[in-house]
Amino acid sequence: MVNLEELCQAVVSGDIDVAEALTKKAIESKVTIGDILNRGLVPGLRQVGELFEKGEYYLPELIVSGDAVAKALEHLEPLMGQEGASYMGKYLIGTVQGDVHDLGKNIVIMMLRGNGWEVTDLGVDVSPEEFCSAVSTSNCDILGMSSLLTMTMTNAARTIESLKAAGLRDRVKVMVGGAPTTSEWAEKIGADAHAKDGPTAAIVAARLVGKS
Amino acid sequence: MNGLERVMTALRIQEPDRVPHFERIANRVREGILPGASEEDIVEHLDLDGIRFIDRTHSWSYEMVDEGKRIKRDQWGGLVRYTSEDNPVPMEPAIKSETDLDTYKLPDPDEEWRYEHLKRLVKRFKGERAIVVGVTDIFALGRENFLGDVGYFRAMVKNPAFIDRANEFLLDYQLRYMRNCIEMGVDVFWVNGDWAMTERPMVSRQFTERFLAPPLKKLVDYAHSRGVPVIKHTDGNIWPIYDTIIDAGVDGLHPIDPMAGMDIGEAKATFGDKVCLCGNVSCAFSLVSGTEEEVREETREVIRKAGKGGGLICMSSNSIHSGVNPKNYLAMVKAIREFGQYPLSLD
Repeated sequence: MVNLEELCQAVVSGDIDVAEALTKKAIESKVTIGDILNRGLVPGLRQVGELFEKGEYYLPELIVSGDAVAKALEHLEPLMGQEGASYMGKYLIGTVQGDVHDLGKNIVIMMLRGNGWEVTDLGVDVSPEEFCSAVSTSNCDILGMSSLLTMTMTNAARTIESLKAAGLRDRVKVMVGGAPTTSEWAEKIGADAHAKDGPTAAIVAARLVGKS
Repeated sequence: MNGLERVMTALRIQEPDRVPHFERIANRVREGILPGASEEDIVEHLDLDGIRFIDRTHSWSYEMVDEGKRIKRDQWGGLVRYTSEDNPVPMEPAIKSETDLDTYKLPDPDEEWRYEHLKRLVKRFKGERAIVVGVTDIFALGRENFLGDVGYFRAMVKNPAFIDRANEFLLDYQLRYMRNCIEMGVDVFWVNGDWAMTERPMVSRQFTERFLAPPLKKLVDYAHSRGVPVIKHTDGNIWPIYDTIIDAGVDGLHPIDPMAGMDIGEAKATFGDKVCLCGNVSCAFSLVSGTEEEVREETREVIRKAGKGGGLICMSSNSIHSGVNPKNYLAMVKAIREFGQYPLSLD
């Protein structure tokens, strides 16, 4: 019998080997993918998020927890789509045009994937046209845009305008985030939501699709 | 007093004749002030008290990898990509695993060409204006260029000895680079590299004390042994760790980031007797989109809150980047001259 609480704690402590071993064992023991996610990885990431919020965890701890989750997902993702293992939804994400920072975006991706999202990473320096093209062809639920630079924040607004002009705005929820961004600014540019960091992004995304 | 004397006096936390000021000024802003002017020309044109020389953007060699995507290989061996601000942002680290260090060949800081620009600055400004030379922080170099963010943060938790070993390489390089700069005539070292994000430090206090502060102290101790003061730059909210930076012995701290909730008056009251404050007129808001009057008022407030008794170099909250309105920057310079004459009378 696999103790999924141990998997949860392996995520919290960033123990890659234990996370992998327990995930493999759980799959072999016919634990459903949904249970492995919802009773192991997701509560683990939730605790990581809470520790980050409380100021007990910082970037290094987020990274090693993300490593543990990524290792577990290597074994789980090939099985997604099978019974009891549906994704939370599809999430498109990229760093806005003019900005090539990706650490924050990658932490958000780690949190989303660990919470059961199917994530497509458009990379860095993504133009409004590239965002629009990806939205039009991907059938995604949420588009996330990251900006670390004050100067490039305006390109998130430009992308939203481009989505409207292309008739795509109503097809997707839009989330924005990054160091200089605020919820007031997100509202002002017409985004649906703002997330100040990776752990918050997973919570906000679930709320946006009514699965929180 | 001339500019050099003003800056040095402020760094000793004493009152100069007026609050000193210098900046790194983006080309677009320079064009808006004096078309065709170099950074040196602008420094003279505006009679600034010092000039900044940035190690990473001006003095290192880069091998073009992908011209269309503006990707180059930096001197450490990693890939960087240029932003629209012409800042190289790391994409792929030089060292991907510990074994890479076994055969790693450190760039040569003694190559003459690195110092050509510095030599020109010395020839033009020595003794008149502070020549402020950038030295990238060992933590920033290790994290951004050498091991990469993810590799570095992972090693902090899983393999601290890897970071210690990488730091030996980087310290060897930077200390020789600093020695050469000192021999050329540097007046102040500017240790750039962020330790914090908007809301909090990047790593815990325990990791800050273990990994970040000791190599900074080595840079500072060396500079001081040669009689050169050091300004440490870090954006972000450093309230939880500011004492680790001050204990490393730095003479100045920049920019007391207002975006991160760092109030310069509170900083003055808390540690303004230990370190010269360098900042903090907002280059995210007022200098970009405020009115000239708003910039004037904010500059006055910075001087009022932090200028008393000296120990203030009035600067922007990061740099005069390309988004800054040239008229607003001129308003800031003018306000420093208007309100920054000692003895201050602003209360």
